[in-house]
Amino acid sequence: MSTREVISSGNDLAAMAAVDAGCMFFGGYPITPSSEVMHTISDLLPKVGGAAVQMEDEIGGICAAIGAGMSGVRTLTATSGPGISLKAENLGLAQMAEVPIVVINVMRGGPSTGLPTRVSQGDVAQAKNPSHGDYKSITLCAGTLAECYTETVRAFNLADRFMQPVIVLLDETLGHMHAKAILPTQEEVKKNIVPRKTFDGAPEDYKPYGVAQDEPAVLNPMFKGYRYHYTGLHHDADGFPTEEIETCRKLIDRLFRKVDAHRDEIELNEEYMLDDADILLVGYGSASLAIKEAINVLRDNGIKAGMFRPITLWPSPEERLEELGKKFDKVLVVELNQGQYYEEIQRCMGRKDIEKLTKTNGRPFSPADIIEKVKEVF
Amino acid sequence: MSRIVMRFTGVGGQGVLLAGEIFAAAKIKMGGYGVKTATYTSQVRGGPTVVDIQLDDEEIWYPYAIDGQIDFMLSVADKSYQLFKDGVKEGGTIVIDPNLVYPTDEDRQKWNIVEIPIITIAKEEVGNVITQSVVALAIANTLMNALPEDVLVETMLSKVPPKVHDANKLAYELGKKYALEAMNK
Repeated sequence: MSTREVISSGNDLAAMAAVDAGCMFFGGYPITPSSEVMHTISDLLPKVGGAAVQMEDEIGGICAAIGAGMSGVRTLTATSGPGISLKAENLGLAQMAEVPIVVINVMRGGPSTGLPTRVSQGDVAQAKNPSHGDYKSITLCAGTLAECYTETVRAFNLADRFMQPVIVLLDETLGHMHAKAILPTQEEVKKNIVPRKTFDGAPEDYKPYGVAQDEPAVLNPMFKGYRYHYTGLHHDADGFPTEEIETCRKLIDRLFRKVDAHRDEIELNEEYMLDDADILLVGYGSASLAIKEAINVLRDNGIKAGMFRPITLWPSPEERLEELGKKFDKVLVVELNQGQYYEEIQRCMGRKDIEKLTKTNGRPFSPADIIEKVKEVF
Repeated sequence: MSRIVMRFTGVGGQGVLLAGEIFAAAKIKMGGYGVKTATYTSQVRGGPTVVDIQLDDEEIWYPYAIDGQIDFMLSVADKSYQLFKDGVKEGGTIVIDPNLVYPTDEDRQKWNIVEIPIITIAKEEVGNVITQSVVALAIANTLMNALPEDVLVETMLSKVPPKVHDANKLAYELGKKYALEAMNK
């Protein structure tokens, strides 16, 4: 893969990634600590013929972005946790109507307005089910500056592949830290864009939601002669509302199966110094930076620790976690919340006896926090 | 080189962020690793702000300076100074603007406290208060001998608009001059 070196911040890299991945529209509303995504993309999009609109509020922001997605273009909104709370209803609409959209959440301390300028990983549970109803979230979580770029690119490709919202979790640390990132070249990114599927048969034969039970809807761009209906109601193959028993059952079943049947296309993890490790640390996002530093110090002191880091948080890496749960006696989950992913790890590993290190005061973990905890519990 | 850890503190709106970005970018240009993080409060102006800078030849994972490992701090606001001084290692250097920061006698025993009127230099000698960030950059680099001056100045000039190049060059020279004077005291 051909690469380039860029000196930037996570928020700016995410905005650059969107444009490189073919995003043509941004609808949003500024909120700390995500505002730089909007600032930067507002500068970049007009240069490539796209548009960025600051709407009247968070709800307007996602609605405009979903509208652009319905018309057929790649579309983005960016916010922080409080904004996701406001966007929740329309995230549900995009799940139900199968509109691809990328949503960046630069996490800060919550709940409510919380700690606007401080780091947190408190929106991990929210990302799984931001809206009411049954659907399957796809949520990616950057753990390095470079991943603020590459995971945003991947989110656009997954959104078009699975025809649904894809959430990219950044956090205040990654969004604002400024350093070197090794990125794929723009040509490399463009080469790997897979546009969403379209139907090019006779318009009268077009059934946008009449697809295989493990596949997403095929939604042609608007105004191209293919007529169909968008709704948040349960709908039939043409998109028109229905309450027909079997159609309703199959619709929600398909929203699950289109993701579950293709987990291999979505799952992505990093394993750091796991091969010879005695202690397994599980972490994600910016917390993994402190974990890596801690592992290096622990190893200098003869304690063999390693890290498993899910990059795709939802759906979770069930099988790999189950294997690791069998391989490692000593497991410590490190996350900047009260244990939102810890419970998922317990579920996947099928055991309760794992340790956790959590923090919710808006401050990052230091490597010393982790080293101390490892020495205390193992 | 072993890792250099520096911390710039002030209050929101003073523009201490830029110096950190310049240091990081210059080190990266030389083929090394540089990381800048900023911590600030939700108070837009007037809240304590801290910028951490780490420079190393080896990859840096954790982006924040670790308390107790900070070699150098520069502070232009007393509340930030009081809040963050304890992160500086004993014997480390702390540059303060004496018009704005008030260290105790104990502080002066614990750390090498250097008084340079950074804001006054920027405001009166350069004639543009915004250049305080570059005055601070020059002071930090001169006292710490962190990076080659030509690379740092070139990087600095690439980050400020051409119309203020001369003002910022002057700011750098003045910062360096005051730092050298302080070293020879």
